[in-house]
Amino acid sequence: MKSCTGTPAELCALPYLEGVLPEHQVELFEAHFFECPICFAYLQDLQAISAALARHPEIPGIKEEKPARRRLLPFPARTWALGAAAAMVLAVAVISFRALHPGQQQAPIALTAPAAPLPAKPTGPTRATSAAPLRPSQLADLALPPFVAPNLRGAQEDTRFESGMNDYENGDCRGAVAELSSVPARSEDARAARFYCAACEMRLGNLTEAAADMGKVATDGDAPQQESALYYEAQIALAADRPATAHRYLMRTIALEGDLEQKARDEDRRVQEMLNESPGESREKPESIAR
Amino acid sequence: MSDGGNGETWVLPAGSEGDQARIAAAVSQGDRAAEHAFVERYQPKLRALLLARTRNADVASDLLQDVLIEALCALRRGQLREPSKLTAFVLGIARNLLNSHFRSAAREPDSLELPDDLPDLGAAAARLEDEERESAALRAIASLETVDRTILQMTLIDGLKPGVIAQKLMLKPELVRQRKLRATRRIIDFVRARSQSSHEIHLVTRQKE
Repeated sequence: MKSCTGTPAELCALPYLEGVLPEHQVELFEAHFFECPICFAYLQDLQAISAALARHPEIPGIKEEKPARRRLLPFPARTWALGAAAAMVLAVAVISFRALHPGQQQAPIALTAPAAPLPAKPTGPTRATSAAPLRPSQLADLALPPFVAPNLRGAQEDTRFESGMNDYENGDCRGAVAELSSVPARSEDARAARFYCAACEMRLGNLTEAAADMGKVATDGDAPQQESALYYEAQIALAADRPATAHRYLMRTIALEGDLEQKARDEDRRVQEMLNESPGESREKPESIAR
Repeated sequence: MSDGGNGETWVLPAGSEGDQARIAAAVSQGDRAAEHAFVERYQPKLRALLLARTRNADVASDLLQDVLIEALCALRRGQLREPSKLTAFVLGIARNLLNSHFRSAAREPDSLELPDDLPDLGAAAARLEDEERESAALRAIASLETVDRTILQMTLIDGLKPGVIAQKLMLKPELVRQRKLRATRRIIDFVRARSQSSHEIHLVTRQKE
């Protein structure tokens, strides 16, 4: 009998460690490497590589080149450039305000008011513009997320998905929901369809449906929409005046260290302030939105 | 011998079933040396399996003890009907305990006493071997291109799929897959070459002695 040359490990060890090997092959491979020293050594080498990567993330070039967050300008230029830009915008705003309202006394600025313009919302409350205590729902960002075309496409795009996304980009949420909810589950666009459909439901004020669909996208494993789904779950919870639930989703969003990390951090800080100010908020009564 | 699912037959070393039967029979007759042999044979493989399945060294270590204890206790009671299927038996126990763990309803192993002289599961020699392997891996990783290192990091540590990595790195998924496979092969070759040369050095040193 010829001996094993390590082919099973070369084929299976990496997907096995990644957790993407089908279960029946996992069992075959485990039964094999338990008896085959060559394949077992290969697996051990790969596990040593994993351990080395996990314990020494500071190996040059690994962390700093992880491009999850795209920076506008490289540090240190970024700090002063952004500071200078912010100062200029502030100066222009003050000059314009005084020019337009020469006799008017300057009103006190509410520290809690958001600096950025608010997204248009057909339903639900808007963000605070006065110094009155904020409700969690006033923090909720229910604007439609921009459509990011997937670049993982292998086959033809589903026509219902394409049509639904046309409606979506034209702001026709009802039309988009009708099309996107008919994309078959087996389609490679199904997950994206569910996400954008949930975004439309959220925009239409159907928070329970939106939360359910966002939850499915978020728990469906690695997907380009996973981070956004968690972020919008937090927004939906905020819209439903559930800051403690929102905090949990924001923490999960932050943990993914993706493009929404900073936004989620900023919002979570304000949510936590809210929770600290009125601890009763953290004891939310159960309802269908929170999973 | 088993089929890898791609038409290729996976060959197992000859005599494996005979070894399994001998160990199982001896443990059932209360042979403490056979228990040592059992642990030495299965402990590293079980550790690799549990680590791969749980991705958590502490959980894997706890489960490893549970699997070995449960297997030894069952063998002592003569519960293995086909001694030549010892590996399948051990794998079955490992999978059952893993399932229980994942269902958050881990069963406590039977409160049977363990042999006092059971080999230390965290034996110094094994730890040293792990450290050597990891240190070789570290050097191998450092020799990779930055993109390849990042892909490996995202794959093995962050658990990201090629599609997601491709999006993050703004590469094509096919390219990510290719680079991942190429980097893995290169790094394994590096680790192997290093361990072979270190093995040869050990041999030469011994011969000189």
